[in-house]
Amino acid sequence: MSIRYSVAVPLTLLLCALVPVAPAEEYDAVLAQELADKGWIVYSAQADTATWDLFVIRPDGLPARRLTRTTRYEEAAPRFSPDGSRILYRRFPKDSVIDHDKWGFGGELVIAKSDGTDARVVGAEGEYPWASWMPDGKHVSCLYRKGIRIISVESGEVVREMPRKGIFQQLFPSPDGQRFCGTGNVGGKAWNIVCLDTKTGAVNPVHVFQSCTPNWFPDSKRLIYSSRPPDQEAHKGYGATQLWMANADGTGRQLVYGDDAYHIYGGEVSPDGAYVLFTKSLADGGGSEKEGAPMFVMRLADAPAVGGDSGALRALHPGAKDAPLLELPAGWEPHWTYANVVVKP
Amino acid sequence: MTSITRFLIAGIGFFGVAALCVGCGPATPDDGADPQVATQGSIEVTAKLVDITGKFPPNDLYDYAYVMKYEVLKTHRGEATGTLLVGQYNPLKKRAVAADERSGEIGGNVTRFRVGDIHRLALEPNIDEYCMAGIINKYAEEDKPSDAPLYWAVWTNRVIQ
Repeated sequence: MSIRYSVAVPLTLLLCALVPVAPAEEYDAVLAQELADKGWIVYSAQADTATWDLFVIRPDGLPARRLTRTTRYEEAAPRFSPDGSRILYRRFPKDSVIDHDKWGFGGELVIAKSDGTDARVVGAEGEYPWASWMPDGKHVSCLYRKGIRIISVESGEVVREMPRKGIFQQLFPSPDGQRFCGTGNVGGKAWNIVCLDTKTGAVNPVHVFQSCTPNWFPDSKRLIYSSRPPDQEAHKGYGATQLWMANADGTGRQLVYGDDAYHIYGGEVSPDGAYVLFTKSLADGGGSEKEGAPMFVMRLADAPAVGGDSGALRALHPGAKDAPLLELPAGWEPHWTYANVVVKP
Repeated sequence: MTSITRFLIAGIGFFGVAALCVGCGPATPDDGADPQVATQGSIEVTAKLVDITGKFPPNDLYDYAYVMKYEVLKTHRGEATGTLLVGQYNPLKKRAVAADERSGEIGGNVTRFRVGDIHRLALEPNIDEYCMAGIINKYAEEDKPSDAPLYWAVWTNRVIQ
């Protein structure tokens, strides 16, 4: 245990005992200590190169380590392979504006070791759209206009194709490979979370109306995603985007975290399913067009939680907690592994 | 008033009236045919835009296709008759500049969508195979939604009769 924690934790516990309702900030040291050995988070951020680069950080917020340092490219949207040994990401020409919704259609797909070395450009601009690791780490799933393709990373061979059933972005296979999640069209409505069964090809809605950026829980049974419910007062009636979770069959929909002053994106569950990672952005979209947004870690056991004043949201969710959050640097599209990633400081 | 001022006012008046006369005159008929609309897509029709249900949402953050109702006046290629539900990608943009990663190649010379206008359309019959975007279809929310196919507008030209 570091000196920082050896002092902070007892002090925090003492304060918790003395003050019945302690401000969230006083819990941060406890949460940080919990997270200290919980692997690594990889994310994209703008740094001193004035371009988007890739970084890894411990989930307790210890100083970030840089994976890329390029001045000619914008690197974004990294994801660890299932065993944590590699990452894939997209690389755009310098000064490209990375669209928060269309990034998967553009840039070059790059695969590297998880410390950023041995980077290999796999495809040309726009090839391998929405590439994401399949559970075996040897294939990626891609989302094309004509359907979903499973492609060998080594040979580029297409080993399987299937209809995309209205999914148009953010396609991700479940850890067990039984389903895909994605953002798709349902019953005349755009922007819904859907699941597609990889055996039968059947698709089912999970959350209909203004939802996107789904990600799987490690159990392959639940999803976390962003959703902006209708009829909100926040942001002059536009509404605030909240973090939600649901079972893959669409049951059990529940608010995870919301704050009427912010849009919550980048939802990602820790590999043990105990914590949730997300970004809080003042502007809708998650911030990829600018500098990203601060990342936060929260215990999933504290869901549903509401931040800030958020009077309207608290009224809708009277049982919601004021969950302690641990703030991390600004970033975009973070991804989490418990693998031992060795990156030189 | 100086003579120069009177001259300028008279000139502005003359050209203004002339411009109004030109604007009010009958537009040159145009059947909307061009090499793109004649070759793109598997279906080509001349059709009247008879309904746009609701209002186009803003497109500053989210691009989408919007389903509109057309009545076929003439079929030039392929098979399509009667009422068609057609998805137009990013309808707040001029057709000539609407194409992007989500739409693939689309185009035409229509600059805005107004009920009553007549368009020459190159279409594909299954929008899901072409459009990589959110598709807003207000007709699917009706009590008895149509199970007719949703067409994808590949090329959309203005027709002046």
